Amino acid sequence: MHRVASSGNTSGSSRPRREKRLTYVLNDADATKHCAGINCLAVLKSSAADEFDSLFTGSRDGTLKRWSLSEDGPSCSATFESHVDWVNDAVLAGGNTLVSCSSDTTVKVWDSLSDGTCIKTLHQHSDYVTCLASANKESNTIASAGLGGEVFIWDIEAALTPTTKSSDTTKDDGTNGINGSASTLPLTTLRPVGSSNNISLHTPQPQGYVPTAAKGHKESVYALAMNESGTLLVSGGTEKVVRVWDPRTGSKTMKLRGHSDNIRVLLLDSTGRFCLSGSSDSMIRLWDLGQQRCLHSYAVHTDSVWALASTPTFSHVYSGGRDRSLYLTDLATRESVLLCTKDNPISQLAMHDDGIWVATTDSSVHKWPAEVRNPQKVFERGGSFLAGNLSFSRARVSLEGSAPVPIYQEPSYSILGTPGIVQHEILNNRRHVLTKDSAGTVKLWEITKGIVIKNYGEVSFEKTKEELLEMVSIPAWFTVDTRLGSLSVHLETPQCFSAEIYSVDLNISGKPEDDKVNIARETLKGLLAHWLMKRKQKSGSSALANGDMPSGKDISSRTLPLSRTEVDGNAENDSLVYPPFEFSVAFPPSIMTEGSHGGPWRKKITDLDGSKDEKDFPSWVLDCVLNNRLPARENTKCSFYLLPFEGSSVQILTQGKLSAPRILRVHKVVNYVIEKMVLDKPLDSISSDGAFSAGLTDGSLRSGLKPWQKIKPSIEIFCNNQLLSPDMSLATIRTYIWKKSDDLVLNYRIAK
Amino acid sequence: MGATGSRLEKALGDQFPEGERYFGLENFGNTCYCNSVLQALYFCVPFREQLIEYYSNNKNPADAEENLLTCLADLFIQISSQKKKTGVIAPKRFVQRLKKQNEIFRSYMHQDAHEFLNYLLNELVDTLEKESLSAKSDSDTSSTSEKIANGPNISHANGPNISHANGGVQKEPLVTWVHKNFQGILTNETKCLCCETVTARDETFLDLSLDIEQNSSITSCLKNFSSTETLNAEDKFFCDKCCSLQEAQKRMKIKKPPHILVIHLKRFKYIEHLGRYKKLSYRVVFPLELKLSNTVEDSDAEYSLFAVVVHVGSGPNHGHYVSLVKSHNHWLFFDDENVEMIDESAVQTFFGSSQEYSSNTDHGYILFYERTTTASTS
Repeated sequence: MHRVASSGNTSGSSRPRREKRLTYVLNDADATKHCAGINCLAVLKSSAADEFDSLFTGSRDGTLKRWSLSEDGPSCSATFESHVDWVNDAVLAGGNTLVSCSSDTTVKVWDSLSDGTCIKTLHQHSDYVTCLASANKESNTIASAGLGGEVFIWDIEAALTPTTKSSDTTKDDGTNGINGSASTLPLTTLRPVGSSNNISLHTPQPQGYVPTAAKGHKESVYALAMNESGTLLVSGGTEKVVRVWDPRTGSKTMKLRGHSDNIRVLLLDSTGRFCLSGSSDSMIRLWDLGQQRCLHSYAVHTDSVWALASTPTFSHVYSGGRDRSLYLTDLATRESVLLCTKDNPISQLAMHDDGIWVATTDSSVHKWPAEVRNPQKVFERGGSFLAGNLSFSRARVSLEGSAPVPIYQEPSYSILGTPGIVQHEILNNRRHVLTKDSAGTVKLWEITKGIVIKNYGEVSFEKTKEELLEMVSIPAWFTVDTRLGSLSVHLETPQCFSAEIYSVDLNISGKPEDDKVNIARETLKGLLAHWLMKRKQKSGSSALANGDMPSGKDISSRTLPLSRTEVDGNAENDSLVYPPFEFSVAFPPSIMTEGSHGGPWRKKITDLDGSKDEKDFPSWVLDCVLNNRLPARENTKCSFYLLPFEGSSVQILTQGKLSAPRILRVHKVVNYVIEKMVLDKPLDSISSDGAFSAGLTDGSLRSGLKPWQKIKPSIEIFCNNQLLSPDMSLATIRTYIWKKSDDLVLNYRIAK
Repeated sequence: MGATGSRLEKALGDQFPEGERYFGLENFGNTCYCNSVLQALYFCVPFREQLIEYYSNNKNPADAEENLLTCLADLFIQISSQKKKTGVIAPKRFVQRLKKQNEIFRSYMHQDAHEFLNYLLNELVDTLEKESLSAKSDSDTSSTSEKIANGPNISHANGPNISHANGGVQKEPLVTWVHKNFQGILTNETKCLCCETVTARDETFLDLSLDIEQNSSITSCLKNFSSTETLNAEDKFFCDKCCSLQEAQKRMKIKKPPHILVIHLKRFKYIEHLGRYKKLSYRVVFPLELKLSNTVEDSDAEYSLFAVVVHVGSGPNHGHYVSLVKSHNHWLFFDDENVEMIDESAVQTFFGSSQEYSSNTDHGYILFYERTTTASTS
């Protein structure tokens, strides 16, 4: 039963993996909060009386969350983590299925009631998937649309069917199920052939499910809606027209013109006769699809309309958008009223009982009273106005300062998120990153440990950055972005292996003075410590399957052997994780990679469960952490000339150009000069190709009592007539003092 | 050459404008690129007058350091102070100075007139900025404000018309009289299609280089110039607000139209598969009166054509430059030493040809328009 190296795994390893990037996402807050704008909402009404309703939120932080809506207020009951970019939309389909789409170009299918299991990843889109639409909550028909004009209609049940069987067979008993193998294998290449041992991954199988494509959009799609019976699909985007489709065939039925800018949101009534559209031209339009014409246009907003929701009878519409305002409009009388104003643009709305959930581009969601059952009651409170039919009519109102007063001041429920990071700066030491979040808080991160090492509070980012300025030069071994509201650190081979550091500088004890570590390699080892441990347990248990060794399952995952002593016993010295690279277990970072089989995935480092993930790590990562094989990279040496300072009487014999590691410090150069002066003969070991450092390594300043040390003269090293501090590295001198691309020139003299 | 001069005089007769001089310029071997542009600039009356004014106000016999500005001013003064109304002048000092200063123009090769114009205007600006700077430091040390050796047009150098530049300009650049004549401001607007934030970046220009199409007009070329471009697919826009790559719409608008609008038609196009430049002889209609409609601040800036630099020939590496100039409502044709009067209707023969291989190889290349409506802002 401990057949760990499954068939899928072995055949997978022979496939070429070309991806060059591995990303890890840091977090310092509890996992029950979103840390970036909310893009989508979906409400699941409970079927049983004793259960609570659920709200699903999808965020720009790349995750979805389920909120249990108890009387005590909402609480986070699950996090759906697998997308590697913004979650743009989510809908509920038949059988408690949650479907989400992302800027990572995938559509993912989840069991909405699970603890976050991704059942399936659908790869059909080639660009960001911006929106989804479903028929009714029992139906399996959903549609996805995105940039580049791609529109697909899916039968979710059919899309899931071909792989469920193999998913069962390859499922490991020890896994928690997140991102199971089914979701990481491309649907076109995987199909069950007899037993699981014979799954063929090499021949693409045309039998895989292919969705219906609705072809016709020339430009990107930003809005999508389907009627309840799934007989009508509408889409809109930068073409400024509403396109109407038959989702059963993917054929075009009509095209409706009227908007003068991008269409951002669409809504269909249950019958599919009426359609509402919201546009960047700030207008809401009501269309009669039967008559193929625009019945009304409503100038309610002063800026783009991004979100619409209607009462069940389609008599009233709730609308929100870039102007941060939520309005209620009577579609028949054109009477409109301002319900509330927010601090951020409104991205989506969801009706829930008598209230409305409002998502904004910040990380919080609020529920507002809305009198959904009897919207007329809102108008009785006064403050309503008549919506015009020209886009500038409302803009004028706001210019005149006669904007209405919102009916509601306070939301009835709030789900608060944490502020997302909006600004960042990589510090010169290339281990620390300074960030500022949307609340103005400035923090300093140590990215090789994934933790915040200092919280400055609300201070000036620029000033803090200046205060932290260090004159050191270390190669750029990683890049950072903050699109997910947290720090995403990207490692790309081979550039990521360009930075080395002395063990001494990291306070790693018990190492010789000249011991260097490769920062990226140590970081990868730290990130994958848990995975390596699991893997070792599994391979150990499988090798000793006949023995009495405990299986990997029996070892509690709470005791993470991240410190070196615990691993020491059964590993070669090299696989130790040094303390400066021990990642947080309380707030574990997530790994993201493009994956080789099932496309991009994301997982917390503590959820990596051993060999099963191996096939989806880029090969260079495995080479690095398992075999200590680093890719060939550019020379880490620095060439320089060592010449006497002008007017100095001291002259030593040097053999032209010297070469040393870029991180070599000035005091080593001092040692070299002294050694040469005292010995008064050229060091045989010195050549122009790197042997310089070798000649020095045994001459440790502190340890030996070599004759030249006793009469040690004081030597000063200069570059561009500037005295260099003994701590400076050659790379730092080159960047900050030499400032030229040609070979560095250092000058020496006896201190006066 | 006396004959041509007298013929022109005869043609103009009583209508010969008071105080105006029409002189041909001698060619020193492939210097027609220079002559054609000099004629256009000479008949750009505000430029000529301001150059001469600046020069006479700032002439300092003590430091007689020659530069392109002094040479150009000397040449213009030489022409305008001629006793005869017509004739030929050799712009010897100017051409020598040009060749001395810039290697590119040193050879006897065929040169690009637009490149020359661009170089000349930038060189003038550099000289003015340098002189203003030294004048400023002079006045700072002596602290007598009268001693400012600036011309009258430079006194309120840091004009307000550029202060709304959106982040692109760090320090207020000096606005010289060259800028006041030729400089306009373009604004590059990018709208993120996700958060719909518009980022605008301003940039200044001394002339507009337009891509051209067969059988088109300046108006349609300008429309293409400021048409909306979508940044999408592999070429998305990094939105600072979204902290991510998003689709965006980008367009270029003329924010502040210049007083003198110089339009350069990109007739010399690099053809990849040929590995060389090719001349596009496309017919591009340039109207005598031009209305700019795609501006932000002035919705209807109106311009009148006063000079055209014409490229004669079928290829980019050889050929000839002549210029058409409108002076006191007469159109004149300048071909190095020769000056002739032409009919206004003859201007349209320089639009270009509808067929690729046409016997007509005289094509309008650089157009000079002067604004007729007074600018509302400056």
